[in-house]
Amino acid sequence: MKIRKPDLFQIITYPAVIIVFAIFISMLITFLIKSLPAFDMYGFNLYAKNVWIAAENPDNEKYGILAAIWGSIYTSIIAVGVALPLSIGYSIFVVDYAPKKVKNVLIILSDVMAGLPTIIYGVWAVFFLVPALKDNIMTPLYDTFSFIPLFSEPSISGFSIMSAGILLSIMVAPFASAIIRESYQMIPFKYKEAAFSLGLTRYETTKLLFGYIKPAVYSGMILAFGRAIGETVAVSLVVGNAFNLTANMLAPGYTISSLIANQFGNAFIYGHMTSVLYASGLFLFVIGLGVNLLGIYKLRRWRKNVEI
Amino acid sequence: MEKKTMYMGATIAVIGIMVLAAVMAGWVGNTGSNNNSDNGTGSTIILRTTGATFPQYQVQKWIDTYQKSNPNVKIEYEGGGSGHGQDAFMQGLSEIGRTDPPVSESTWSKFEDTGDMPLQFPEVVGAVVISYNIPGVGDIKLSQDALVGIFIGDIEYWDGAKITGQNPGINLPHEKIIVVHRSDSSGTTAIFTTYLSVINSTWDKQVGAGKTVQWPTDDMGRGLGGKGNPGVVSTLKQTDYSICYTELSFAIEESLPTAYLENADGNYTEPTDSSIQAAVAGVSSNIPPPDKGYSENLKQLLNAQGNDSYPIVAFTHMLVWKNIDGKHYTHDDVTAIKDFMKWVLTDGQKPENLAPGYVGLPEDVANIGLSAINQIQG
Amino acid sequence: MSKFDIRKIKEKLFLVTVAALAILAVFPLFHIVFTVFYEGISTIMATGPTFITGTLGEGGIGPAIVGTLMLTLLSSIIGIPIALAVGIYAYEYPNSRIGKITTTLLQIMLEFPTILVGLFVMQLIVIPMGSYSVIAGALALAIIMMPYVAVYTAESMSQIPFTFREAAFGLGVNRAKSVFMIIAPIAKRGILTGLLISTAKVAGETAPLLFTAGGLYQSYPHSFTQPVGSISLLIYTLVQSPSIADHQMAWGAALVLMVIFLAVFIPIRMSLKEVKL
Repeated sequence: MKIRKPDLFQIITYPAVIIVFAIFISMLITFLIKSLPAFDMYGFNLYAKNVWIAAENPDNEKYGILAAIWGSIYTSIIAVGVALPLSIGYSIFVVDYAPKKVKNVLIILSDVMAGLPTIIYGVWAVFFLVPALKDNIMTPLYDTFSFIPLFSEPSISGFSIMSAGILLSIMVAPFASAIIRESYQMIPFKYKEAAFSLGLTRYETTKLLFGYIKPAVYSGMILAFGRAIGETVAVSLVVGNAFNLTANMLAPGYTISSLIANQFGNAFIYGHMTSVLYASGLFLFVIGLGVNLLGIYKLRRWRKNVEI
Repeated sequence: MEKKTMYMGATIAVIGIMVLAAVMAGWVGNTGSNNNSDNGTGSTIILRTTGATFPQYQVQKWIDTYQKSNPNVKIEYEGGGSGHGQDAFMQGLSEIGRTDPPVSESTWSKFEDTGDMPLQFPEVVGAVVISYNIPGVGDIKLSQDALVGIFIGDIEYWDGAKITGQNPGINLPHEKIIVVHRSDSSGTTAIFTTYLSVINSTWDKQVGAGKTVQWPTDDMGRGLGGKGNPGVVSTLKQTDYSICYTELSFAIEESLPTAYLENADGNYTEPTDSSIQAAVAGVSSNIPPPDKGYSENLKQLLNAQGNDSYPIVAFTHMLVWKNIDGKHYTHDDVTAIKDFMKWVLTDGQKPENLAPGYVGLPEDVANIGLSAINQIQG
Repeated sequence: MSKFDIRKIKEKLFLVTVAALAILAVFPLFHIVFTVFYEGISTIMATGPTFITGTLGEGGIGPAIVGTLMLTLLSSIIGIPIALAVGIYAYEYPNSRIGKITTTLLQIMLEFPTILVGLFVMQLIVIPMGSYSVIAGALALAIIMMPYVAVYTAESMSQIPFTFREAAFGLGVNRAKSVFMIIAPIAKRGILTGLLISTAKVAGETAPLLFTAGGLYQSYPHSFTQPVGSISLLIYTLVQSPSIADHQMAWGAALVLMVIFLAVFIPIRMSLKEVKL
């Protein structure tokens, strides 16, 4: 059999594709291999316990990152929960109501927000958002609703799971908005026409149409969740960095990425901490992979259905 | 503006910025390498010192002063805590490591595994102080029991009996005590928790001592973490009714109140130059030779005897490589490192070069550092 | 009649809610831009031009600015050629198995936690080299940049009508030529946009540099194998300090970073219709 000589196109593009795959796979392998000692040592407890004892005698070291996992998930859920109404309202307003000029401006603003360096969000949050939330939101919440476990303790400093969640919601809302807005725009005009001709008001029409793009809204939420859980510097500046396993969102907490940012610089002098942090990274890796795959898959399937 | 023009403009701007960066980088690089080939005269040496933030103000002051008379040496200060200092030093990411507590024996052997010999010596004396943020309240006194009680979480409110007992004239509020501690691997934490272990066996058993410990107050929702002494102090300032431990200089720089602490003789002392000096004078410090740094005893200055001694005083240390076979430094690096360290241990210890909140080394201790410098090869 | 009224009220309420939410979604941006500008400008005015050109000891962030530019430049040099080729590949084989996997992989990498990239590059380069370096920082940024560039490239090329391809094949042009010499140049506007937006994006990144770049603020960087600072890293350190002077410096540095970002991002964004982030 004759082997076909690769053409110029293949010679140029194949190596690049191989490089990208190689980077991704070697990252996965690096995190796996580096995590193994931690799994050997602590087993599943690493993800199921909340303990952080760094001792210079490796026998006394004990780690369990449950508080950080909990914090990552908790802050991201708050983020998505707050971002969702914002992005739905934004999408409806931009597509249905805004005049063309306002519409363009709103879209550009949202894109700028999506690209703005995260450290700038961080500076702003530390000096403005956190104190403002503490005085205007958290303290009243505790005063009024302290019987609900979510607000059972007063906020100490403002640096808390809630602050991180709200900051993240501001940061991920543009991503969710972009996906929801694009999907909402893709709805064929004939559906809208039909709704109006039935005598439905705009509110009723929108309600109807949003049933139609539900899958896109879900994937927007999922992708926003993926963004939120991976964010590092802005979160580490506001989350409080305490190993705290609590339902109270006014209390300080930790997130996985913040844990890595804070501890990796001193991990090497300890016997197991480096490996534990790689295992934490692996957890984030897998969660990110799963969440994003799910979101991408859902969105693709929905788009395909619409196009048919 | 027409869109196309705008678009072109942006492209040109970016390309312009990039070319500028390339030119600048190339230009700086060229001058750097040209000078290097001039056999040292006028070449710029960049050194990096990383780790403990306990001596931050002191080290920054030394760097500022030293650079003024030695413009060809640029010293990059990096914080990150004693743990990060030992870590970066071990990996060769930083020329001069800084750590408050002496390096432990296990970490010391990791250093030696690199094939080079680490040298450790005290650079300056400092004190861990207890600062607090209670609006309108200052000058509080804390007994040993009260101090342990606060940090172990037994004393929940500022008006707890153990606190008010020593502070009759002060109107302490019925507010929860928030404990601010370090989130990174920290020498300040090691000094403070070692002190608590020395004075209280319950603390020793329940929490223990180390660069990181599990703070009992975290589980009670009354603990907050800050990165480095700067992070702790900035959290304290933003949090009413909080308390923290930090280096004296941070309290001075940020005008924070410091608590009077009960010392070994039962007297309440404020952290000042004289009460720190009293603590250093009260013990005959026993510093091992620089190549046996791990055998130094952190406890020797803690809870020192003496009427006026402040109880939480410690040496903070520098780490440098012996540079066997030129493993870590070039010849130029060595010249600069030796000169800088020699200056730190001699002129640097003079009152005009000390930052507020630090006390110079006793001469015999400084000499240990000078002997370390002579061992550096290359 | 009354039912109609309720519907009308509902309709009004709906409009108000939707408009309020839309405004609330973008309002933080105004507040951020205003605050950073207001706080930052007073710092810069107080220090004068030294703030841009001086070292940290002199009260300036010059080395950080140069560091950011060096990192961005080198990461573009490393990342763009590879990303372009991958993007073109993804455009050429949208339906093959590997083509589909490639597209999915790019989208996953687009969303990937950036701190993990930093950890990976530290293991790969910093530890073996025994030093933080421009190269390590730039490689981390390049890995983050690649999927953006590739996705933009593939999307803007796929918008070129297929008739151009047909015409090229009709003239007997081979595949490499038709893709690289005909389709890519037609799509160059979209591709360039992708490049610039990705560049602006990585210029502001912090997390991937935490364990790769190291930081250098007392002197200007002069070598690609030595540690380097960046504006974003410097801000991260300054924000965590208790000193007011450091906070002011952080605001000033944030303003510089924001201006660099907006100066690149806004003109490009305004010149095209849709953007994928």
